[in-house]
Amino acid sequence: MIKLKGIAATLVTVSALGSSGAFAQDVEKIIEARQSLMHLYAFNLGTVGEMAKGNTEYDAQLAATAAQNLLALAQMNSDRLWPQGSSKVDPGLEDTTRALPEIWTTMPKLSEKHTDLTTALETFATVAGKDLASLRGGMKAVGDGCKGCHQDFRAKKEDS
Amino acid sequence: MKLCFKLVALATAGAAAGLWMISAPQPAISADALASVPGDLQRGAEVFHIGGCASCHMPPDYEEPNTDTIPPLSGGKRFRTPFGTFVAPNITPDKATGIGTWSTSEFATALLKGVSPRGEHYYPAFPYTSYNRMTLQDVADLKAFIDTQPAVSRPNDRHELDFPFSLRRGLGLWKYLYSQPERVIDFGDADSELRRGQYLVEGPGHCGECHSPRNVFGATDYSRWLGGGANPQGDGSIPNISPHRSGLGDWSEADIAEYLSSGFTPDYDVVGSEMADVVENTARLAASDRKAIAAYLKAIPAVEASKTD
Repeated sequence: MIKLKGIAATLVTVSALGSSGAFAQDVEKIIEARQSLMHLYAFNLGTVGEMAKGNTEYDAQLAATAAQNLLALAQMNSDRLWPQGSSKVDPGLEDTTRALPEIWTTMPKLSEKHTDLTTALETFATVAGKDLASLRGGMKAVGDGCKGCHQDFRAKKEDS
Repeated sequence: MKLCFKLVALATAGAAAGLWMISAPQPAISADALASVPGDLQRGAEVFHIGGCASCHMPPDYEEPNTDTIPPLSGGKRFRTPFGTFVAPNITPDKATGIGTWSTSEFATALLKGVSPRGEHYYPAFPYTSYNRMTLQDVADLKAFIDTQPAVSRPNDRHELDFPFSLRRGLGLWKYLYSQPERVIDFGDADSELRRGQYLVEGPGHCGECHSPRNVFGATDYSRWLGGGANPQGDGSIPNISPHRSGLGDWSEADIAEYLSSGFTPDYDVVGSEMADVVENTARLAASDRKAIAAYLKAIPAVEASKTD
């Protein structure tokens, strides 16, 4: 009986996915791409962040390059990375993404937050290569820029 | 037989009277005790930020403008817990709906004893279970600062609590059993940085209110201090921030201080959820205070993350 129920549940899931199977695959690729974008942010933030913490020596050239990269990432047109139907409440995506449906239901709030991030990174790109104190002083505004979206539009991490 | 019955009745009455007395709100902090500690506005702002007052008392859906402005403290945020829903009150200096008529001793009694000017117990959703470790000086400074904030007229909403939690008097017993104004961790001889971190985390910062597990009566489990716990608002769990490998074991002091300033984790992910509001506050502290908090968090006993399900 239990087994039968299990099979029935599987069939329901499969048929639900069947109709949108091709789309689901595309969406997963898109989600992978936007997560890669986040990794690129993190990689460049690591360069300036470790200097701010004093873990690596301050290098003006490296810092300026990383800050310029961060700005380039923010300026890149990433509209196609955020299609409708790619949030964690969409079918089959619960374990793939933490993007909340509010991204789409509260538009244009996300775009406004992204503009704030770009503005913060424009400033950061002008100060990061000056000296260590300027780099340190600029980190908070960059963090605020990232937080702008991550506070409202990303679900809490599930515990393993 | 009759005597026996009388004795039992007497004992029961005695016990009831005892419980009634224990549950009585504690006497107020006297004005005399505060006479020697005039409030300092600048230091009060620092206490305000480490105390995280704005995080709970700002209006619901308030948008942080990412500047140094202080949000209105008019309350209204709702906190759903297993005991019912608490609504943060108005703590602006408005005389009719806020705390504008409070004396400093009434303010101190609220923070340190969890007792209102009307002599009623507060629910520990208001974290006096940590604030009771604050110095009178910090309380007086905080009062001076809050007095300068704009008054907003907004009548308080009632908490929506389930019986028997709706009976405030019962909180007296709860306080008697669970209130612990002493230091949580005994470091013996500690340097001034560690002492400062201890004061900030255990007292005004009230980190343990969310980051420590609670028992079925909602009291902090001090044996698993800062070991993380269920989210009182029911959404996932709150991280372990003790130096265990399931907590901040891999974080350096510099990592913690940076996180409390810019919000970046050692992996350069960024703070989210409720903690984002907390970092908004800790970012405004002196760098030396963030360093002190980090030193404390690396010095406390490592406890394994509590199982929440």
